[in-house]
Amino acid sequence: MKLEDVLSSRLRIRIIKVLIQVGELNVSEIARRINANYKSTSMHLKILEDEGVLQHKTYGRIRLYRLNQSSPRARAVQNLVEIWEHANKGER
Amino acid sequence: MMSQYKSVFKDETKLDINYVPYKLPHRDRELRLLTEFFSFILHAPGKMAQRIVIAGDVGSGKTVLSQRFGMNATREAEKRGINLHYVHVNCREYRGSLFLILYHAVSVFHPSFPKRGYSAEELLQILLQVLDEQDAYVILTLDEFESLIEREGTEAVYKLTRLQETRVNKPQRLSLICVMRNLKILEKLDASTRSTLQSNVIHLEKYSKRQLVDILSDRVSLAFKPLTVPEDTVSLIADIASSEGGNARFGIELLWRAGKYADADDLNVVTPECVRKAASSIYAVMRKSEAAYLSLHEKLFLLGIARFFKESERAYASLAEAEQAYAVVCEEFNVKPRSHTQLWKYLRTLSAVGFVKTEVSENIGSRGRSTIIYLPRISAHELEKELTALLEKDV
Ligand SMILES: Nc1ncnc2c1ncn2[C@@H]1O[C@H](COP(=O)(O)OP(=O)(O)OP(=O)(O)O)[C@@H](O)[C@H]1O
Ligand SMILES: [Mg+2]
Repeated sequence: MKLEDVLSSRLRIRIIKVLIQVGELNVSEIARRINANYKSTSMHLKILEDEGVLQHKTYGRIRLYRLNQSSPRARAVQNLVEIWEHANKGER
Repeated sequence: MMSQYKSVFKDETKLDINYVPYKLPHRDRELRLLTEFFSFILHAPGKMAQRIVIAGDVGSGKTVLSQRFGMNATREAEKRGINLHYVHVNCREYRGSLFLILYHAVSVFHPSFPKRGYSAEELLQILLQVLDEQDAYVILTLDEFESLIEREGTEAVYKLTRLQETRVNKPQRLSLICVMRNLKILEKLDASTRSTLQSNVIHLEKYSKRQLVDILSDRVSLAFKPLTVPEDTVSLIADIASSEGGNARFGIELLWRAGKYADADDLNVVTPECVRKAASSIYAVMRKSEAAYLSLHEKLFLLGIARFFKESERAYASLAEAEQAYAVVCEEFNVKPRSHTQLWKYLRTLSAVGFVKTEVSENIGSRGRSTIIYLPRISAHELEKELTALLEKDV
């Protein structure tokens, strides 16, 4: 996927922000926090994982998602979010 | 003025119930034994798993001993590059639920792990998977083990001790330390689980007065300014703690309170009178906090007894009267009353813990001997209030 396509989704960006904040979370909890349903959350998670931004581990029926520690893309996105959020705080 | 405020204390936190001292006087043999039982973990972790029982009366140092051991063991393991975690859970705080206990262990590794969506058995498998992934070993201490058995029955322990059977040729990652006051609870377990546990029992003897003096003296030098606590004061505290069944917790709490009384009276030293004041204030509070440890029916029975004294204004109750009061309480809480023989056992526990005292009185009525019950040093009103609050949580 092209960068503009990956980052064109509000939900995907919220997912990334939530995971940067908390570290790792299961699907239902991510859905709850970004205010979306389970199905669409799963779909966005899959896209982000396919693009190498996220990774997950499975424990029985539980899937825990986190940023893909080894991926430069994940680090770049994390940087972007942190700088952005930090600047926003400064403005207020 | 703040600058003129003076205190006998140097560092009160050293008297906190959660403080784990570096040195444990009169428990070095037990600490060495425990270290010995777990020596494999530093040399060949994964080759075996250990199951240990620590038993002893109230305030005999079970919790602090296991925590000290845990700290030492993880420090040694870290030096050797072994990923060992010591996880201490108080089963009573988790209402004896195996699920919550295991959840706590998993959350050490994954703090935001979801709280629903699986059973206790699945959670146990998850824990093992997590340990495999991180090449980690856990020593899990089940403190106040009685709560676990009471809530989950013996099945829970069976699951915990047999988990290797489904993991043939995989490293053994979970060891257990079961901490309990009384070994009797083990009789409830199936024969083979019982025999695994019974072969490794560390029994903590009651502390004698002399031993309590040593323990208290150590705390005095950690927590108080020099020369503020005379020998006599320590000795008196040790005497009182010793009459409380060698309960070191009682002694340390008394020491702290006595210091508080000294500060309040603006004294430079903690006098024996401070200890006496502290002792009379402590009794009521201690009885109350101890009530949380009682089983459901022990609480109900004690509530019956408290109500009896509250309503009758009498000093003594017969067993029959106490039993009647208990039956009324059971009805109120909508539980089936236990048998007469059970009540006898409860009465024995209640008097061992010190909530009630019993005496056998001769020739009352037609029967030759009968048991009478009374409340030492605690108001029936207070006791009733506390028990009602606790029971609302239980039932
Ligand atoms: N040998 C010791 N040296 C120093 N402090 C001790 C020693 N033994 C016990 N203590 C202290 O006494 C208090 C009571 O000990 P602990 O909590 O370990 O008792 P316990 O056997 O777990 O009691 P319970 O059955 O009520 O849980 C704690 O503050 C503990 O630090
Ligand atoms: Mg304890």
